[in-house]
Amino acid sequence: MLLPTKFYRVFVGIMVVSAGVAAQQRNNPPERRPLVLDRAPARTIADPNPVFRAIVIDSDHGEVLMANDKESAGTSVLVYPTQFPSTNRIMEPSRRIAGPKTDLGMVCGLAVSVKSGELYSVSGETGTLNVYALDATGNVGPARQLKGVMPRASAGVFLDVKNDELFITTEHVNRISVYPRTFREDQEPLRFIQGPDSGLADPHGIYVDSETNEIFVSNHGNWRETQTGEGEVRGPNSLTRTSLGYNVPGRVLPLAPSTGKFLGPSITVHSRTAGANAPPLRTIHGPHTLLSLPDGIYRDPMSGEIIVANTGDDSVLFFAKDATGDATPVRILKGPATKMKGPVGVSIDTKRNELWVASWDSHVAAVFPRMANGNIAPLRIIRTAPENAPPASMGRIGAVAYDPKRKEILTPN
Amino acid sequence: MSQPRISAYASLANGNAQPTRVIQGPKTLQARTSHYIAVDAVHDELAVPNPFAQAILTFRGGAMGNEAPIRVIQGPKTLLSAVDNVAVDPVHRELITASFPADSILVYRSDANGDVEPIRILRGPKTQLDRPIRVEIDPINNLIAVMNDHALLVFNRTDSGDVAPKWIIEGPKTGIGTRNGTRDLKLFPDGKKIIAGASFRPPRGSRSGEANAEDEQGFFRAGQRFIGVWKYGDTGDVSPWAVLNYSPITKIPGSRMALNPEGADLIIGGDGRVSVYHLPEIFRPGN
Repeated sequence: MLLPTKFYRVFVGIMVVSAGVAAQQRNNPPERRPLVLDRAPARTIADPNPVFRAIVIDSDHGEVLMANDKESAGTSVLVYPTQFPSTNRIMEPSRRIAGPKTDLGMVCGLAVSVKSGELYSVSGETGTLNVYALDATGNVGPARQLKGVMPRASAGVFLDVKNDELFITTEHVNRISVYPRTFREDQEPLRFIQGPDSGLADPHGIYVDSETNEIFVSNHGNWRETQTGEGEVRGPNSLTRTSLGYNVPGRVLPLAPSTGKFLGPSITVHSRTAGANAPPLRTIHGPHTLLSLPDGIYRDPMSGEIIVANTGDDSVLFFAKDATGDATPVRILKGPATKMKGPVGVSIDTKRNELWVASWDSHVAAVFPRMANGNIAPLRIIRTAPENAPPASMGRIGAVAYDPKRKEILTPN
Repeated sequence: MSQPRISAYASLANGNAQPTRVIQGPKTLQARTSHYIAVDAVHDELAVPNPFAQAILTFRGGAMGNEAPIRVIQGPKTLLSAVDNVAVDPVHRELITASFPADSILVYRSDANGDVEPIRILRGPKTQLDRPIRVEIDPINNLIAVMNDHALLVFNRTDSGDVAPKWIIEGPKTGIGTRNGTRDLKLFPDGKKIIAGASFRPPRGSRSGEANAEDEQGFFRAGQRFIGVWKYGDTGDVSPWAVLNYSPITKIPGSRMALNPEGADLIIGGDGRVSVYHLPEIFRPGN
């Protein structure tokens, strides 16, 4: 039977198209379907116990507020009474600020304003400054947030009550930023100290004395030359793309000579009103100071002594109010009786004449007489882990590695 | 955290384990915000970056406590800036680091000390380097892999100057790139595999955690973490060969990784914890 010409053409057309599709399918491999390996971990290493980092005391309300930056325990602000019966058991906080709405991040620094009824926290990862009601509890959002041009990775915060200003240190870009307490979300800093002459080198803790108009800053000593304004988040006009996070292009820097140095730990003392690349008024630095990875810093309002949480050798150092150069501490609180391990926060309860020390590694906040010295036991402690629990040893994990020789998992943090 | 440190745990440790050793203290010259560690198993050394002092520190493999590094690469000639990653090639005795601020890859002799110049620099428009954050070396197959903002680039190990990548893994099917939350990558030379993790962003208009079309294949759960495994030679917008998805069962803690081929384990760190996944499929010969 003969097919009409019209049908013949359609048939040939279909055959040609089919042959073409078949050829195309031969050239393009089939879509890969991934092998799904979903299964539970065989083992997980984690410390479930909160830790204490920054510490701030609200003497008026008899409360101590401490930052817990341990992700495996859920970062939080933990609030305890300053007065309580002595116990060596785990003590539950009277309240805590924690949860996804809080946006606490890696909470590193705390400050309070009793007069304004506000609590301030800075996040080490984002640099964001959050404000909460002083009596906030639970999973509450911040009442205000400072984002603006604030550099990432801030460490310390201090409220100068007299001048109503907030001071913030930023580790990554060797900087002190000053903001009005009543800041807006996109607030520009009132002033900032930053630059090669500032003496700032990996700054951490900060304290401002509004009577002597001095700023005290603890520095780990890792230094590189920073430009004034470096780290500010200004979109395409930012000086470095590192300030913008990973997802924003920013400008490509030339391959230039490195400026990095190890300067050693120091306490730099700056004028409260200094700005830009102003050099410090004085610097406490040198082998006699015994400074070792200094962190939290406070000034005794009565004696004027400078109190430093000396993380690197599990001590608290006290320097004379006018100490400078390679000064020897006038007192040292150190030893196994103190229960301090990895001290990072210090403060004084002026109403009760007591010194508070927060130790990250031992999960302990310890209370001492204000003039404590040597290897003495605390008056009382707050602990978040049993006494025989392993010390906290894993913070924010930046990497993980495997050592096949020793069959060990390595975590830098 | 309290101070910069490297904590070591037994590979079989579980729960709230005591570290077997800790490298910490002022002599170590470590900085906080240390984002990498490289193990040279042949020469029994560890390398870590210090971004704030612009240095690469090398320790004895068995370093412990307040122990100083045995070598420090630091100084004007090094051209190091915000160095936060390092990889080691124990066969050819080289250290390599990706410069996020300068879109470049710098290579040094791994036994170098002090103010030394890079022996090779990979940089230029042909390289397609764009905010590189991690680099890994395969000294057996002579490759380096770089994690970029939006792509994983693979070069020949000895490439220098302005050279185009050999393979580029990028696109929506891959889900990787720093913009997707990738913070690490690993190479498994024996099995010729590339391993990288990320966190898929939800498609526009969908809720976080909502499954998308690809989820029917057991992959691409929108907005959730995953670890993907690709094969050498993969290039373009290609789905991973294997995938470990985040779920209430897997609970992937992050995207920082290490491989233990002997134990067939993938070790993943993040969120303040480390989880070990037994995944022989990745390490099995012939896969």
